[in-house]
Amino acid sequence: MRATSFRDPHLKSISLLFSLALVAVVSACGGNSDSESDSATRLVTVYTGRHYGIEPVFEEFTAETGIEVRFTTGSDPELRARLEAEGANTPADLIMTADAANIALAAEAGLLATVDSETLRSAIPKELRAADNTWFALSRRLRVIMSSSERVDDAPTTYAEVGDPKWKGRLCLRPSTHPYTQSLVSALINNLGSDDARAIVDSWVANDPLYINSDTDMLKAIVAGDCDIALANSYYLGRLLTEDSTIPVSLTWPDQEGFGAHLNISAAGITVNAAHPKEARELLEWLATKGQKLFSDTNNEYPADPTVEPNEILSGFGSFKADINSVRELGRLNPAAVELLSAASYE
Amino acid sequence: MRRPGVWFGWTTILAVVAVVASPIVVLAWSLIDPSTNVWAELWRTRLPGMIIETALLLVSVVFGAVVFGTGLAWLVSAFEFPARRVVGWLLVTPLAIPGYVGGFVWLETMSDVVGAREARSLWLCAVVLVLSLYPYVYLFARASFVDQGEDSLAVARSLGAGKAGVFFRVALPAARPAIAAGAALVAMETLTDIGTVRLFNVSTLADGVMRVWFGTGDLGAATELASALTGAAVLLITFERLLRSGGRRSRGSTEAAMNPRPLTKAGVVAAIAVTLAMLVIAVGIPLLRLFFWASESVRAGTAVTVAGGVTHHLGNTMLLAGSAAVVSIVVGTILALTVAHRGRVARVVGRISTVGYAMPGPVVAVGAVVMLAALDRRGWLPDGFLLVGSVAGLVFALVVRFLAVGYQGVEASLDRVPTTATESARVLGAGPVRTAVAIELPAARFGVMAAFALLCVDMVKELPITLLLRPFGVDTLSVWVWQATSESLWEQAAVPSLVMVVIGMFAVGALLVALERGAELVS
Repeated sequence: MRATSFRDPHLKSISLLFSLALVAVVSACGGNSDSESDSATRLVTVYTGRHYGIEPVFEEFTAETGIEVRFTTGSDPELRARLEAEGANTPADLIMTADAANIALAAEAGLLATVDSETLRSAIPKELRAADNTWFALSRRLRVIMSSSERVDDAPTTYAEVGDPKWKGRLCLRPSTHPYTQSLVSALINNLGSDDARAIVDSWVANDPLYINSDTDMLKAIVAGDCDIALANSYYLGRLLTEDSTIPVSLTWPDQEGFGAHLNISAAGITVNAAHPKEARELLEWLATKGQKLFSDTNNEYPADPTVEPNEILSGFGSFKADINSVRELGRLNPAAVELLSAASYE
Repeated sequence: MRRPGVWFGWTTILAVVAVVASPIVVLAWSLIDPSTNVWAELWRTRLPGMIIETALLLVSVVFGAVVFGTGLAWLVSAFEFPARRVVGWLLVTPLAIPGYVGGFVWLETMSDVVGAREARSLWLCAVVLVLSLYPYVYLFARASFVDQGEDSLAVARSLGAGKAGVFFRVALPAARPAIAAGAALVAMETLTDIGTVRLFNVSTLADGVMRVWFGTGDLGAATELASALTGAAVLLITFERLLRSGGRRSRGSTEAAMNPRPLTKAGVVAAIAVTLAMLVIAVGIPLLRLFFWASESVRAGTAVTVAGGVTHHLGNTMLLAGSAAVVSIVVGTILALTVAHRGRVARVVGRISTVGYAMPGPVVAVGAVVMLAALDRRGWLPDGFLLVGSVAGLVFALVVRFLAVGYQGVEASLDRVPTTATESARVLGAGPVRTAVAIELPAARFGVMAAFALLCVDMVKELPITLLLRPFGVDTLSVWVWQATSESLWEQAAVPSLVMVVIGMFAVGALLVALERGAELVS
């Protein structure tokens, strides 16, 4: 055994360690009493699953209204689980999600309050808000067909054509773990019924797709030659075009003769237990009106309010028909979509 | 004489175990009413595939980590070659690279080399996991080799055993328990990994837990799957304990530690080539790639987030990881001291406190939120203080996840304290606390230090719990990495990743110092 004694210097270092521990515990317990201390500043607290480019938007809101925005980012389902567990104690006044199904699931769980606002009703089309006005879309994103402008001159024009055998081994798709994939299939089910939707998903799977869990990386895979076509959200191409306007990827609006391109939304709702419902409503109304352009432009998205002009890059994509009627159904159909994807062995 | 101590000790053990296991128990409540329809559908569709992929990945990662970890450990302990000590240190440094960082670096790099399709494979995922996890086996095996001493090897040589014979017939069997313990850690990390497997499209059970939860919104079914996963982990640990029994041989106090033997010229070249190759692949290439991305990010001016720059995130990481590591080591040490010399039942009960380590991080995170929020609803704390979203709540959840690392590390070193010493102290009238402070803690001090260093490494890398439970405005380095990688902005993830790796390297350095001074890793 090794020598041990009372006078061992290491014993001192261990007692030091323990004292440090005490200090840490004490300071940890005292470190979070800031929330309501300063009642002079007005505050609104946001849980947001959308975390790209929101900071400048909140800063602008604070500059205009003097209301401070405190927010935490995370994944939609985890933030929803937290909100649900916190109940009446939640600090969250507003919850913001990156897709339609997740906000609808929050509403279904009874976490969102009805907002009776003429401002919101007139700014946001009725298809893009909940029937009971518990949530409101703030921006629109389209899931479209992307193709290599160098190697493809006959890009598919419908979601069904993506399953044409000629794309075997040339197709990139996002895994079914991602809400964008789930919502797309929900929309197919809503428009075509389960059987036809299943047939389409089967034909995609039969094309031996390369599954990449990132829309950006799918587009880069098209550039690198790893695949020729992909299904991705419109704003990712917008983002890449901002960096390099010559990127050889083209966008095709799908199903223009039919139900239109799959439309998903970024949405927000006020929580039932909001401590600052007035400020939350001000933020929500601001985002739906004055803040619409900034909110959408920072992420190259289409504003939810159709009267607000999209940015130049998006205007360059031209006009299109979008599947606006499915948006409210995406939450309800999500479990069916997940089951269909599993049954079809979609990765 | 021992009566009050007995009750006090058991109360401590049960209290710690109850508090630490509570978030898991809260979730496991759902097991009473199983979601049979979800299970039936899972079994029809993805579950068989998940089980196969999990098994394949587990076997290949553990096999790879054991081969490389043991081989390299033998090389640096049994043979003398230039820079042997430095290399011996550097071989542990991959521990400082979080799996999700190594994962995206390798995925991007291999996509450039073999194409995006070929890069996404179970085998490449296994290689990446081996590269980041082999140090566990390496550390344990090396400590065991050094500890075996010179005599048994000398005897073997005098009986005519060649180099291979000494290794396979003497050193390896004696190191088996240590290697098994390292392999168990590797297995646990592989089973609960989500970040890396997702990058490579490998559908493991841990990934399945997230699929079920996010896909069906059924947290109950997700927890049931997570419990099945924990069951698998417990089986593995039991198996490892069986492997551990017997085998171990430590040198006596008068016996010299293993003495590295000189190599021939060709041997020296080979040794340097092998270790260098490992270091270049496991550390060099990821760091180079990160440096390259980081410099692009700095040039593009994206090396800050709105929350702040490097110092802001670094400060938060140090504060949170530091507090959580300190609390874990204190609780772990108290638990280990109380459990020590209290028999098998105490050991088994004590081990329940490590259940958080056998669960995927996000499951622990939600369990902690559910439990803390239930406490918050009672309003017991003054001034409307809420645990969810507080530093205290976050530290608690982190301790639940990683207590095992502190507890088992300290336990291993305490086991080497001779019972004669503690019993003498007790006979002479010292109480349990005085015995602990005067005899056990000083003797196990390097064990405490090693466990603390390992805790720091784990806490700095931790992501899912920090992400869900951090207070407003408190972003850490790992949260920064997540915000960038979830948008595939690899360049922007490079700066915080590098800073994390540097902190990890310091912790790994402290770990090695502790081990050199005689910390034990295996009980």
